[in-house]
Amino acid sequence: MKLYTLAWSNFKRSVREFGVLVLSLAFSVFIFFNFQNIVFSDAMDVLENYNKDYIDIVTETLSVVFVVFLFFFIWYASNVFLNQRKKEIGIYIFMGLDNRRIGKLYLLESGMVGLFALAFGLVAGLAFSKLFQMILLRLSRISADVRFSFSLQSVMITSAMFLTIHGLMTLKGCHTLRTSSVLNLLSGAKQKEMKPEHRAVTTLRILAGTGILAAGYVAAWRTGDLDSLELGLAATILVIVGVYLLYSGLIPAVLRALTRSKGYLYKKQRTLWVNSLAFRIKKNYRTYAMVTVLMISAVTVLAVSIAMQQRYERMVWFDQTYTYQIISSHEWDGEEICEGIEEDNEVSYWNSFRLLLMDASVFDSRFQNMSGVVSYSQVKEAAGRAGLDFTWPEPGAYEAIDVSHEIMMSFVDEDRAGEKITIDGETYELLGSTKTPYLGNLQTYMNLAIVSDAAFERLHALAENGRAVENWVYNYRIAVPENVDASRPYLTGLAERSEDGSVYTGVNFTDPLNRDTSWVCVMYSLCLFLFATFVLAGGSIMFLKTGNDVYEDHERYQVLCRLGIPRRILGKSVRSEICFTYCCPFVLTVLTSWFSVRALGNVMKEDLFQVNLWSAGAILVLFTLVCAFSVRMARRKLLG
Amino acid sequence: MIMRQLLEVTNLSKNYGRGNYQAPVLRNINMTVCEGDFLAIMGPSGAGKTTLLNLLSTLDAPTHGSILLDGADITHMKNHELSILRRDKIGFIFQEYNLLDSMTLQDNIALPLSLNGVKSSEVIQRVAEQAKIFRLSAHLDKYPYQLSGGQKQRAASARALITKPRILFADEPTGALDSRSSRDLLTCLKTVNDAGQATILMVTHDAYSASYAKQVYLLKDGQIQCRLNRGQDRKEFYEEILSMLATLGGEQE
Repeated sequence: MKLYTLAWSNFKRSVREFGVLVLSLAFSVFIFFNFQNIVFSDAMDVLENYNKDYIDIVTETLSVVFVVFLFFFIWYASNVFLNQRKKEIGIYIFMGLDNRRIGKLYLLESGMVGLFALAFGLVAGLAFSKLFQMILLRLSRISADVRFSFSLQSVMITSAMFLTIHGLMTLKGCHTLRTSSVLNLLSGAKQKEMKPEHRAVTTLRILAGTGILAAGYVAAWRTGDLDSLELGLAATILVIVGVYLLYSGLIPAVLRALTRSKGYLYKKQRTLWVNSLAFRIKKNYRTYAMVTVLMISAVTVLAVSIAMQQRYERMVWFDQTYTYQIISSHEWDGEEICEGIEEDNEVSYWNSFRLLLMDASVFDSRFQNMSGVVSYSQVKEAAGRAGLDFTWPEPGAYEAIDVSHEIMMSFVDEDRAGEKITIDGETYELLGSTKTPYLGNLQTYMNLAIVSDAAFERLHALAENGRAVENWVYNYRIAVPENVDASRPYLTGLAERSEDGSVYTGVNFTDPLNRDTSWVCVMYSLCLFLFATFVLAGGSIMFLKTGNDVYEDHERYQVLCRLGIPRRILGKSVRSEICFTYCCPFVLTVLTSWFSVRALGNVMKEDLFQVNLWSAGAILVLFTLVCAFSVRMARRKLLG
Repeated sequence: MIMRQLLEVTNLSKNYGRGNYQAPVLRNINMTVCEGDFLAIMGPSGAGKTTLLNLLSTLDAPTHGSILLDGADITHMKNHELSILRRDKIGFIFQEYNLLDSMTLQDNIALPLSLNGVKSSEVIQRVAEQAKIFRLSAHLDKYPYQLSGGQKQRAASARALITKPRILFADEPTGALDSRSSRDLLTCLKTVNDAGQATILMVTHDAYSASYAKQVYLLKDGQIQCRLNRGQDRKEFYEEILSMLATLGGEQE
């Protein structure tokens, strides 16, 4: 039989026997291709260029993260494939094949598996690219027609990325095979010995693991604002190191202690699975740690995207509190304007207030843009008419409330309570900050403060001597914001400006279809995909690992069957062992991600507790399914 | 003393293959094993020794004939019943020990009891007893890879006997052992047999191992050619086995 024929025959068998591996590789190609297709195809051109640029940056960043992840994933999957083939390959030596030809055989086989996975992934990627983009836009709540579109560039980049990583891993496998002894090949990767460890090393690992992980949790707990981002970084590193040490120290030690406690071990048929776990944990801990870190990263990525999505939604709500905003140097009849608008649109509510505008020489704050003050009672009344909550007490004579706005990316402590501002040489203490859009979009562009009615009247004198300008602001919200343009001709007709600029009226329109920041929604959707991919990858790594263990266990269970151990008991033992292997990363992921998400919530000033709940639920569902599938597969292979 | 019949084999035959392509491996085997017996089955390669052991130990089904174990015909039992029978009445020793490398010797010996729901305290006590009989008390905390072949086979024997089976089947138990380890193992097996704790049926190609048994069946071409009974002296019995083998002229495995 020619080498090529043998390789082809082995490849066909690999697709059947290592279907999960091939599917995992193809799935990684599928996801990466779709990410690239977003960047290089014109499918996302439905969004404006501004958004497209941002989406490309986000997608490319996520692609880099994805490549790093894929590198480790393909490395791991290739190792599993190689280990399971070693014994069979070892037998070829007795058939007269030398190591060089065996290496060549593996190269051919692995190459075929890689090309098959690439072709399968690309075809699936192409077939589902439109669906992928439709789901992406739907999740992003962007309504646009998506047409089938792909670029050759994305196919080339995906192929180059995959073939490079897979090729490197194949060459590494070839090198391993060429340098392995026959005995090593024949015994495969089967673990034959309980790896001994000095008691002092174990103690050190336990202390270091628990200590470092606890330190990581404390650092995450204390991470609160921009100043403590170093703590966040420290927490990340400490948690990763701590998780690895926990799996190599405390968990094996606990399992070994359980195997020594015979009173516990011999109850409820625990002998087999507890011993098996204790025996294997030293070999498998890196995988469990890798899956745990992957899951924590997945949950944190999800938390980032949801935090930004929450901010985005608040920004949208902020922007759309008022559809029209009229600012004028003189007083208008607000009711009359309302009637004008109502000729084309139903007005849900409207309000007005007087605003004293002043420049930095009068209103001295940490911001240099245009500043202004409004009176407490006017804002309270405006809030009431707009249905906005207003629970602030009236400021004292030299107190004020900072009126601010939502910012997409801000880690600054936004509560300015206790801060001092100076207006016309007098110091006012801020009672706090509010981001409720009482004054509409003016809050976005101006530095505004609410002062007591008495203080407002006192400051009104500045307008009389020309050091401040009094403005009248009218806000209108229509029932159907999408119909904003209907009243545009009427309102545009109100706009005016005298030659010297002393008399003016300006109108601001809020377009609900404005997509300036819709890239955030796309990023949110991409992060959801990344979360799903990481979780699926974690699940498939666990599945591959279980499959590898089952491969090693086959002879062991054959013996147990011959000894007359009932299949029911063996099946229960298989289930307990596999459930534990899935349970451990899950529990550690849920616990650790609670700290990581809390830290992120503190930094981004968002309540992200729901992320913990949803992500834990999603991982639980997926792990339960994969675990059930693993148990079924193991029982079928071990017990027939 | 009248011994109670434990195993009764009647007209046992086994063919491999189908239709016109059947090859008979065992033909009309008839034998009886009583409580307290220590039987060895010997014969040349292809004589059907292992096939006979597999049939008697429920691992394979015969083409014809019946096997009564404790009065129950095991040839008509369902898989589930056979599994219970193997668990409760049969012990096995294999040439390759088949200890689980993932657990200590103590846990290996305890395995059948602990998986069958016996109380922990009883398991610990019975493991200690078996370890003492098979001289393994000092090695209970060790893993199989830390033991010699002889120690592993003694541990496998202890595991096989811990459930107090009605009969112990041993398939070439000394096949992978050196002469000293073989002697140690056979001495232990003889001790438990003499103490009335085990009925043993052993397949072996080694006349020395067979000389520890009370009876030796010589098998050739799927049929029992003769049966030898041991007298008082084991060495004489050994010589007798060797001369019978020479007479039969079979090539030993």
